Amino acid sequence: MQRPQQNRYKRRRIYVRRKVCKFCADKSLVADYKEPELLKGFITERGKILPRRVTGTCAKHQRRLTNAIKKARIMALLPFTSGHAIE
Amino acid sequence: MKLRHYETIFLLHPDLSNEDRQEAIDKFSQIITNDEGQMVNIDQWPLRKLAYEVQHQRQGYYVVMNYGAPGSAIEELTRNFRLDERVMKFMTTKLHDEFDYEEAMKKFVKKEAEQASTSAEPSESEMEEKGE
Repeated sequence: MQRPQQNRYKRRRIYVRRKVCKFCADKSLVADYKEPELLKGFITERGKILPRRVTGTCAKHQRRLTNAIKKARIMALLPFTSGHAIE
Repeated sequence: MKLRHYETIFLLHPDLSNEDRQEAIDKFSQIITNDEGQMVNIDQWPLRKLAYEVQHQRQGYYVVMNYGAPGSAIEELTRNFRLDERVMKFMTTKLHDEFDYEEAMKKFVKKEAEQASTSAEPSESEMEEKGE
């Protein structure tokens, strides 16, 4: 019975900085496929979309972000994979 | 006929001359205006590197059109994009189900002003605020 309590205590000690959704913090910021420079911050070097747990984006904005990234990929503004990327 | 608010982005071949590009843009915008559509803005981007090769090209010219049009105009536009060899890629997105020219224009001007103020030097925007 004591062990789980200990674990919980341990877990609590790990300090994780609460990440705030970038799009909620700045209301004028919109995930738009026409701004690949902004979207680049939300993809990995391989071109994969970063999960919410990494970027801290809220669910609502992550949905819009995903759509924007996918549109940007279709229009060759962002790479699908680094294997086909130029440079 | 009912107009809806659309945005179309298309990618033109990098080897086109300025005149050729202008001609292509005029052609596509006319398809919209000929079908009772109303153009809000045409944004021509400078020559840009692509994220991956498209038709063996590494760069191209993007053009973004913001307009209101009936659905039939979109069909016609899409057909022409497919036929035209100057166009390497295109995508049309619906922004709103309703389109009001005045409102769309106002929204667009406001957005432009916002972008100009954020991209401008911070000292400049501060000065503007003081001036007001």
